[in-house]
Amino acid sequence: MLSLDLSKASKLKYLVFLLRLAEPTVQWITTALQTVESKSLQRISIRTHDDVPEKIGEEFHQEWQDLDRQLVQFWTTHSIRPRIAYVPRKGEEDMRDHAPRLLPELTKRGLVDLVRER
Amino acid sequence: MLDLIVDHLYDDPTALGACCVVSKSWIPRTRKHLFARVKFNTTEFRIELWKKAFPDPSNSPAHHTRTLSIHDAPVIATADIHAFCNVVHLQLSNMDRTSLFLLRGFSPAIRSLSLIHASLGDFNLICSFPLLEDLELVTLFPMKDEDGWNTPLKSPKLTGTLDFKMFWRASSVTRQLLDLPGGLHFSKITLLFSNEAAKSVTDLVSGCSGTLELLTLNFYPRGAFLSPL
Repeated sequence: MLSLDLSKASKLKYLVFLLRLAEPTVQWITTALQTVESKSLQRISIRTHDDVPEKIGEEFHQEWQDLDRQLVQFWTTHSIRPRIAYVPRKGEEDMRDHAPRLLPELTKRGLVDLVRER
Repeated sequence: MLDLIVDHLYDDPTALGACCVVSKSWIPRTRKHLFARVKFNTTEFRIELWKKAFPDPSNSPAHHTRTLSIHDAPVIATADIHAFCNVVHLQLSNMDRTSLFLLRGFSPAIRSLSLIHASLGDFNLICSFPLLEDLELVTLFPMKDEDGWNTPLKSPKLTGTLDFKMFWRASSVTRQLLDLPGGLHFSKITLLFSNEAAKSVTDLVSGCSGTLELLTLNFYPRGAFLSPL
């Protein structure tokens, strides 16, 4: 399991994760977020330029649920709304259509900023 | 008035070239912009052509250059490279170690350095620029111990941006970075890394713990196709 420790970054203000949805593992983001201790943190962003896969397997689905919970917890403890920036590549569907499936709790509570780039 | 006109054309090399042939009095101001960015490579912009055009380094427009890019070109003699004494941004790719040695400290004004496909011996190069703030590292090849790595005695503060694509021997490069005598003080770090480099990511973040404000993490699973982001 990929394990990053960001606990020493005490001045961290902005945290950006670049995500390749062709390999939709997000466990590394969740585990990294679990280690953040900076009291200066102001923004968490997840950026992707890829299309969201039509189907995300059971393994990855569980990872997204865990990420959803972790981001909700960040809102609860730090009042930080995560920002998801994406560049849609084809069709009409974009991250807005997939967010309720991938990040159900965040979406339901309106705690996520979905930003379409370009 | 002339300066204003020429300054307005700073990003139009064709127009600047035309200005050069208007009058001798137009040349100095035009050269300032025309040679602000110089790129050497092995094909159309060969160093030999520069030397042919400007055989006397002390009289060349090299002192106007602020951004110097050298790709896969063996470096010129010391006198030639030291003529580029006001370079602020230096981009080096596919450089041999002899050339990198000649480049040490050639411009004390350098604030950003990009090293792509280079030997780890370059950390002496890094330390030879006292004002260096920003560092881009892509696929460095660490030297073996028997090659005679010498730890620099002094290093720049490195307070700006570190952009490190950890494709190769990331742990070794990270260790050398963390061993720099002045420590690391980057405020922005962008890391492209795979599973094997996770510990190096943690180490770099810890090494900049007192200054790091913006961290961008770009993970690619080993073997994954690396699409641009």
